[in-house]
Amino acid sequence: MKVPVSWLREYVDFDLPVEELARRLVFTSCEVDRIVRQGAPGGANLEHFVVGKVLEAGKHPNADKLQLTKVDVGSGEPRSIVCGAWNFGAGATVAVVLPGGVMPGGEFTIEKRKLRGEVSEGMILSERELELGQDHGGIMVLSDELAPGTPLADVLPLGDDILEIETLYNRPDLTSIYGIAREVAALLETELHPMPGTEPRREGDEPVEIAIDDLVASSRYIGRLFRDVALSESPAWLKARLTGAGMRPISNVVDVTNYVMLALGNPLHAFDYDKLAGSRIVVRRARPGEKLETLDGTMRELAPEDLVIADAEKPIGIAGVMGGGNTEVSDETTNVLLEAANFEPLTVLRSGERHRMRTESQTRWEKGVDPELAGPAATYASQLLVELAGARWTGEGEVRGEIPPPPVIAFRPGYTNDVLGMEVAEEEQRGRLGRLGFGVDDDWTVHTPTWRRRDVRRDIDVVEEVARFQLEHVPATLPVRQEMFGRLKHEQRLRRQVEDVLAGAGMYEAYTYSLQATDPDPNAIELPVPLSSQQRVLRTTLAIGLLAAAQHNIDMGNTDIALFEVAHVYLPPGPVPDERWRLGGIVQGDFFKTKGIVEAVFAALHIEPTFERAKLRNEFVVGATVQSGWVGTYGPLELDGQWSAFELDLAELFAAVPERILYRDVITYPQLRLDLAVVVDEGVPAGDLMTAARAAAGEELREVRFLSDYRGDPIPEGKKSVAIAVAFQSPDRTLTEDDAARLRAAIVQALAERFEAELRA
Amino acid sequence: MDSLAAMLSNGTDWNAYQEEALAAIGAALSEQELDDARVKYLGRKSELAQALRGVRDRESGILLNGVRSTLEEAVAEREAELLRLAYELAAEAGVDVTIPGTPVHRGRLHLLTQIRREIEDIFLGLGYEVWDGNEVATVWENFDALTSDPGHPSRSQFDTFYIDENTVLRTHTSPDQIRAMQQRKPPIYMVSPGRCYRRDTPDATHSPIFLQVECLAVDRGITLADLQGTVLKFFRALFGEQREVRMRTSFFPFTEPSVEFDVTCFICGGKGCATCKYSGWIEMGGAGWVDPDVFRNVGIDPDEYQGFAFGFGIERIAMLRHGLPDLRAFWENDLRVLGQF
Repeated sequence: MKVPVSWLREYVDFDLPVEELARRLVFTSCEVDRIVRQGAPGGANLEHFVVGKVLEAGKHPNADKLQLTKVDVGSGEPRSIVCGAWNFGAGATVAVVLPGGVMPGGEFTIEKRKLRGEVSEGMILSERELELGQDHGGIMVLSDELAPGTPLADVLPLGDDILEIETLYNRPDLTSIYGIAREVAALLETELHPMPGTEPRREGDEPVEIAIDDLVASSRYIGRLFRDVALSESPAWLKARLTGAGMRPISNVVDVTNYVMLALGNPLHAFDYDKLAGSRIVVRRARPGEKLETLDGTMRELAPEDLVIADAEKPIGIAGVMGGGNTEVSDETTNVLLEAANFEPLTVLRSGERHRMRTESQTRWEKGVDPELAGPAATYASQLLVELAGARWTGEGEVRGEIPPPPVIAFRPGYTNDVLGMEVAEEEQRGRLGRLGFGVDDDWTVHTPTWRRRDVRRDIDVVEEVARFQLEHVPATLPVRQEMFGRLKHEQRLRRQVEDVLAGAGMYEAYTYSLQATDPDPNAIELPVPLSSQQRVLRTTLAIGLLAAAQHNIDMGNTDIALFEVAHVYLPPGPVPDERWRLGGIVQGDFFKTKGIVEAVFAALHIEPTFERAKLRNEFVVGATVQSGWVGTYGPLELDGQWSAFELDLAELFAAVPERILYRDVITYPQLRLDLAVVVDEGVPAGDLMTAARAAAGEELREVRFLSDYRGDPIPEGKKSVAIAVAFQSPDRTLTEDDAARLRAAIVQALAERFEAELRA
Repeated sequence: MDSLAAMLSNGTDWNAYQEEALAAIGAALSEQELDDARVKYLGRKSELAQALRGVRDRESGILLNGVRSTLEEAVAEREAELLRLAYELAAEAGVDVTIPGTPVHRGRLHLLTQIRREIEDIFLGLGYEVWDGNEVATVWENFDALTSDPGHPSRSQFDTFYIDENTVLRTHTSPDQIRAMQQRKPPIYMVSPGRCYRRDTPDATHSPIFLQVECLAVDRGITLADLQGTVLKFFRALFGEQREVRMRTSFFPFTEPSVEFDVTCFICGGKGCATCKYSGWIEMGGAGWVDPDVFRNVGIDPDEYQGFAFGFGIERIAMLRHGLPDLRAFWENDLRVLGQF
C-alpha cells in the first residue's frame, strides 16, 4: 500500500522524520519497501513553481505544432514561453515552472533555452508533468481568481513523500491510511484524530429496495441514493492523493469511492441508479448461464458459487471484486446508488481466483474488512459526494444480518513476559493496547476492537499486540536444556559417507528436478495441474534428470563428465507416494568404469556386491543388477560417446551394512597366494567362477580376485581363459604346502564339475 | 687410540692405517671405488684381516676389532651417501618443479550440499537432531495442523502443487514440525532441511523447487529471547562472530508472535552496500513462538511445553555468501560452476 505522508498527517500528529518513522514501523507493524517522492522535489525548488496569466498566445513562427506565449508570472517582465499544448489562449490562468525548477522525478531541471529560434523562459505545466493525474491532453487551466505570481504550492499539492508499505496477512486494518495512522499513534504514543466523515443533510426519503439472499456471505448492505450528481473531474488535491496512493483518477464519483476505500479501508461501489432494473439491489449467487461484462471490459461466465450484486433482472457486479459495465457511472449519470457492504473473505477470494482477477477491493475483502466499517465509510463518501459532486442524498436502504460481537479475552500481563523472556511493565501493556483500540478492564479482560476481530481472538494474540513493540529490546538467550543431544542418525552418516566416496572418486554432485517431463514408470504420479510440461511427473528414478544434466554439460563444452545425485524418488501409487532416498550416477565411459565406482561405494560400506547380468530398460545395451539397484551402459544417445549409469536404493543398501566390523586375525599366520587359470565356455560369467571357487575353498579362503579374461590363440574357438588370484589363510595355524595343494584341488574340481573348466598348464 | 697402543702389533701404525682407509672410503665416488677400498682395507687379504688372524693377546684384539668396526661403519655410511648422491643426480637432471603434478581426478559436493551440511553441523553442535522429511505432505500436515487460514492465498492452486485435494508437494519444511511432534515426545530440538515446492515461475531469484531449513525447539519455558539467542548463535557461526541479528514483526499462521529476522550484512559489515540494498541488514527468514493451537493439534499441552520455530532458504545463503546472481545455476549442474566451490 502506498501512503502519501500528507494524508497520514491528516489523521495523526507526529514530528519524527519520515525515514525514522519507517524504520520503527518495520519492527512493529509492517514492511516498508521504500519512501519515494511524488511530484516536484521539495524545499526551495518549489519557489520556481508559480501561477501565470497568459497575455498573448499565437503560433510559433517556425513550428506548426507549437504555441509562442507571453506569460505574466507576477514579477519582472512577462516571460516568453514556448508550449506544445493548444487547449488555452490569451487570458488563461496556468501553472508555470521557471528556469531553475527541478521537475518531478528529480532528473530534469528547466532551463532558459531557444526552441526553434524563439527563447523559452520556462514551461507551462500539465497535470501529468506534476504527477497530479493522468491527463496529458493539454496544460492545466487554473481558476481565473488566482493572481499571477502566487506560489503554485499554495494552490496545488506539488509534492509528497510516499511510504510504500507491505501489509501482513493478519493486518487488514493496515490497508487504510486511517488504520496506519492508528498504528503510528500507538507506536509513537501520540494522539489519533477522530475518523473523518460527517453525515450530510438528507434531502429526501426515497426507499431503496435491498435484499440479501445469503447473510453469511454478505452480512450487511447499505445502499444510498444520490440525485442531481454533477459528474466531473475531481479537484487537484484528491487527484494528487489518489495518484500518490497508486490509483488512477477517473471521475469525482468513482474517485470518492476509491478515496474513502483508501482512507478507511472499506471498498465501496457506485452504480448508475437509472440503469438498475426495478430500482433494486439483490445480493445473491449467480444463476446458471449468467454472464457479466465487468468494468475491465471482459465478459465473465459466472459460476453458481459467485456472489453477485444484481438488480431485479441481472447481475451488475461480482461482489467485492468488480462492478459491471452495464451499470457503470458515465458522463450521462445523474443519479447514483452508493454501495457500502460486508462481504465474506473466502467467497470473494474464490470468485477472484475463478475469474483470475486481482483488484484493490478484492485484496481488502480477502483479508477481512471490519464489519462495522460500512457505516462510517458510507457517511464519509456521502459527505464527499455532496461536497464534490453537488449531489443530493435522497434515500437509503439497509439490510443487516447478525454480526457476531468481537472477542472478549481473559488476559494476564505476565503471559507477555513468559513469551518474550523479558519484563514489560503493566502500564506499558495497558497503554499500547488502549492506543490500538483495545478495551482493557481493571481485571485485564481485553475487548478486541471490531477491526481486529479476525486476528486477535486469544490471549496469545494479545501478547503479540504488546510484544511487537518490544522486538528491538528482546534479549538473546539459549534454551535451558533438560535432555536431548544432537547427532546424525546412522543413515544420515552413511549418506554423507557415500557422497564423500563419490566426490573422492571423481564425481560431481548434481541437483536435478524432482518433477520431470516423463518417467519410465507408466504409473508414476502426475500433477493434475503442472507448472509446465517439462515438470509434470514425480520421478521414480534419478536417471532422467542426470541424463539432462549430462546433456547440459556437453552443450556447455565440458568433458570427463561424471555426476551423481542423492535425492528422493516417489514411487506410486499415490496420492502419498513411497518416498525413497536414491543414489544415482551418470558417467561418461564404459560399463566397467561405472561399475568400479559402484564397487567403491560397496567397499566403503563393507558390503560385498553381487552383480548379475540383467535386461534393464530399453535404452541400455549392457545391464546388471546389484543389491539395491543396477548398473548399465546406454545404447546410442543424442550425447556423443559412451555413457553409463547406476542407481541404488539407499535404504536397501544401508540395510546390508554390517552393524559392526569384527576383527579378523590377518597377522599371526601367513597368507598363501596362488594364481589359477582355467579354460571355460565363453558364456560362463567370471563372477560365477569366483563364487564357485569361494564356496569350494571354504573358510580358509581369504580372497578371490579376478586377474584377466582372454580369448584367442591358443585358446580354442568358443572358449576363453579366465585367470584368478586366490589367497588362503587360517586364523589358527600356518597353512602348509599340502594345505595349499588340497585347497587348489578343491577349487579346480569344483570348477570342472560345474563349468567343465580345464586347468591351463 | 693412543699412539703407543697403535704401535703394539707387528710394527704397523694402525692409527695411520685407519686414517688412510677412512680417506679412501670417503673419496670413493662410485660403488666400484667403494668396493675397491673395502677389499683393500677390510677384505680377506687386507693387512687388517691378516693381522686379526694373527692376534694372540687381548689388547691387540681390542685394537684391531676397533679399527675393523670403525671402517665397516664408514663403508656403510659412504654407501648410503653414494646412493643418495645417485638419486640427487638423477633428479637434478631437468626436473621443472613448476610443471603441474600428475592429475588426481576428484569431484565435488554440490554447493548446496556443502552449505546444508554446514547448517546441520552448527545445529548438531547446538544439540539438535537432523530430521529427514517427506516432500509429499497431506493438506493437514502442510496447512491445517499449522493453523493456516482456509482463505490464505498460499493454499490456492495458483501457489501450491496439489496431487489431489488432500495431498500437496510441501510448500515449506514446516510439515516436518508436525510430523516430528506427532512422532516424538518433547523436548524436541530438530532441524529439517529439504526440498520444497511452490508454483513460482522460474527467474533469477525464484524456482518452483527450492531448499529450505526448518528449526524447531519444544521444551519447558522456551521464550522469544531463546529464539533470538539461537538465531544469533547460528548466524554468527555461519557468517562470523561480528554479526548481529534483529527481529521484526511478521505473520505466519503457525507462530504467534511471528517475526522476520535480519542479520547485519556480512559483505559491508552493516555500513550499507548493494548486497544489503544499502540498509546494512539482510533478510534471512521467518520465525516465531509456536502457536499454542499448533501444539493442541498434535496433542502437546501448551501449558506444559512452549517452543520456537524458524526457517530460511539454503539457496539464498549460498547466493549471498558466494555472490551467485541466479539460483537457476544450482539446478543446471554446469561443472564450471560446481567446480568453483
